[in-house]
Amino acid sequence: MNRRFLGALSKIYPGERLLTRDVELLPYESDALTAFQTKPGAVVLPENADEVIATVRLCHEHSVPFVARGSGTSLSGGSLPIADGLTIALNRLNRIKRIDPQQRIAVVEPGVVNLHISQAAQPFGLYYAPDPSSQSICTIGGNIAFNSGGAHCLKYGMTSNHVLGMKVALADGSLTEFGGESLDGCGIGPDLVGLFVGSEGLFGIALEMTLRLLPIPELYRTVLAAFDYLGRAGDAVSRVVASGLLPGAIEIMDRLAIRAAETVGANYPDAEALLIVELEGEALQVEAEFTQLRELIEDSGAFEIRTAQNEDERARIWKGRKSAFSAVGRLSPDYIVQDGVVPRSRLGEALSQINALKRSYGLEVANVFHAGDGNLHPLILFDGREAGALRKAEALAGEILAMCVELGGSITGEHGVGVEKRDYMPAMFSEAELDIMLALRQAIDPREIANRGKMFPSGEAPALKMQGMHPLERQGLISRE
Amino acid sequence: MIANEKDIQAFVKAHARLHVRGRGSKPALHQVDAPALDLSGLRGIVDYQPQEFTLTVRAGTALREVMAALAEQGQYLPFDPLLADSASIGGAVASNLSGSRRHRYGGARDFVLGASVVDGTGQAYTVGGKVVKNAAGFDLAKFLVGSLGRYAIMTELTFKVFPDVPQFRSLRFRYEALAAALEASYALNGSRFELDALDIVPGAVGAELLARLGGFRETLPARVEGFSQFVSKATAPQQVEVIQDESSLWDCLAGLNGPCLAKVTLAPRQLLALDAALDGANRRYTLAGNSGFVACEDAGWLDDVLARHGLRGLLLRGDVPCPLLGLPLENVLAARVKATLDPLGKLV
Repeated sequence: MNRRFLGALSKIYPGERLLTRDVELLPYESDALTAFQTKPGAVVLPENADEVIATVRLCHEHSVPFVARGSGTSLSGGSLPIADGLTIALNRLNRIKRIDPQQRIAVVEPGVVNLHISQAAQPFGLYYAPDPSSQSICTIGGNIAFNSGGAHCLKYGMTSNHVLGMKVALADGSLTEFGGESLDGCGIGPDLVGLFVGSEGLFGIALEMTLRLLPIPELYRTVLAAFDYLGRAGDAVSRVVASGLLPGAIEIMDRLAIRAAETVGANYPDAEALLIVELEGEALQVEAEFTQLRELIEDSGAFEIRTAQNEDERARIWKGRKSAFSAVGRLSPDYIVQDGVVPRSRLGEALSQINALKRSYGLEVANVFHAGDGNLHPLILFDGREAGALRKAEALAGEILAMCVELGGSITGEHGVGVEKRDYMPAMFSEAELDIMLALRQAIDPREIANRGKMFPSGEAPALKMQGMHPLERQGLISRE
Repeated sequence: MIANEKDIQAFVKAHARLHVRGRGSKPALHQVDAPALDLSGLRGIVDYQPQEFTLTVRAGTALREVMAALAEQGQYLPFDPLLADSASIGGAVASNLSGSRRHRYGGARDFVLGASVVDGTGQAYTVGGKVVKNAAGFDLAKFLVGSLGRYAIMTELTFKVFPDVPQFRSLRFRYEALAAALEASYALNGSRFELDALDIVPGAVGAELLARLGGFRETLPARVEGFSQFVSKATAPQQVEVIQDESSLWDCLAGLNGPCLAKVTLAPRQLLALDAALDGANRRYTLAGNSGFVACEDAGWLDDVLARHGLRGLLLRGDVPCPLLGLPLENVLAARVKATLDPLGKLV
């Protein structure tokens, strides 16, 4: 790394917050997608917005590419460092500046952990709705960069739908604010919040965000239904959707995923497919909806139906689902996960095609998906110690993404493009569409320094390796939803 | 008559300046000295998949046509676009105008999934996606919500739609002062009640809080009873009334007469100070005091009031050259998008 640049950095940061030695950089070499690893030139640990701004300006001045990162739970390699670039770790900007229960908002810094916002809002009867399954560790800045989802997106939307305002340092160091405290968000004029959220760190760094909080539902009603045929679970979803009910979550797991969940003691029924449906809201309304839901599911041929009678039982139903991915790690030394989307009514077709593909590749695939919004999560199992195994798994994953686009869907529902899916962008977007996105990126970041190498198809390929799960994943602290 | 994307591209190429017009339901947006690109001929539902909760429609389609097609399947546009009888769907999105029911699930930005556009250079492409969940690429479709056709021309829009509820009940609570009505709306924010709409209507004396509950027929009476008791206990209204014939209550522009009509975006904390300055104007606050509609005599006066309170407004009716009121909208990020999508500044 350029000495003049490092010298200038050392004027902003004391030695313990400017990491340059190999041993210090090691933990920052990858994010939760450990297949990709790159050593950054340096890592800085800012403690306030002014330091971030000064750092971004310095990077612009010296044309040094930078990656802003929080906890690095991205599953698309979105916070993978840039070789010889700067990693700006934002975890110390972790202040919840204000919870305003009357206006139903929270004002926070980017390093605040997702779950901590709900915990701070809980005494006021409020919560922050987006719930990626890494919510106990992932940060709100990362959620904003990748427009993170979770199991409850169908009804309340993704991260973007819950951000009202932001203060931002663009990649060239200019500062701007948009939106504000109104629940009407940007309200008048173009929706700049909507543009910034999900831009994968390519526009700059969000320094402060105002978030919408929701009232904690009075009652949850969660049902688990077991089927002897995956198609029946899919039909049950169609019936629920056609009935006019709007559940907070609709999830399906297939046999292999159920088997994996058993390794964490989920105690699920022995079935070909499991369906989880959750209703939430005012007690009287939810009870009435639940009667209707139960009838629908009974009529759809489930051989066993379990209903959570209390919060403990609800947590038990979700436990197997939420830990299904890390549990798959116990069935197979390695796996990769995709998060393509298909129209809900084509889920059955998509699953048949995945089955055919896995047979032709000779690989095992476990399926867990957000059935309510057609968001698939095929987990492709392989052994990274076998020569060529990762490449083969990657090729299968690529075919699955191509199929999602073919069926009218998307290559990513909630994980983002990052490094991992950038080469699939041309499958989803035309040349004109990619050109306009690139032109936009260049207008906002003329030197293309912010999170360089992500989202756009590109020649510079980072090292691709695979050696098991992320250490945090192994401990069950994070999981790939 | 503009009938397709090619016509629009030709129009853009043939003109140095132009402005987009849907069905003209918001006259204040069209007092621009530039030829109008009239999209009212760009009509029709392109694709509607009730089981997918998705709808793709041409931008000039009449809102009432879209809403009727959805209602046939028991579905609706949760962002509750305003001026349903006269506006186009594209205009509703470009002006980001929502009614009271926006309270439950969000605004147009929360339901636009994608769009086909023609930009200021005449190039046509799509932005966003067509499925209810998508995180690939920059979300330009959201950016275009509220953009008044000044960045790109939306020709087709894809929405997420929701099942509608079978029945509603509405309640009116009267308070001796606006401050008490606002406090009452605060009290409801952390409560267990999921309201379809919550409006604050200042009167000559005091103010009213209007609340709407939606759901199953059989549960509504008990929910209304519980809600009424909660509000009465927590906020001590002077009077509580359950409204029987309630649907007309939710036309939030009804009774807002006057030569000028504007939407204002605000935070509830700014409401009392703003309202004191608006003394005399007809007004109603929707979205629990986060949005407001003001009818008055003089748009210049309103512009000044909003600027003094650090707020922005959008004029729908009234005679001024620029419909944007209050604080200027200039923003460095927006300017760079403009330079990319419309480098010659054709779209005004």
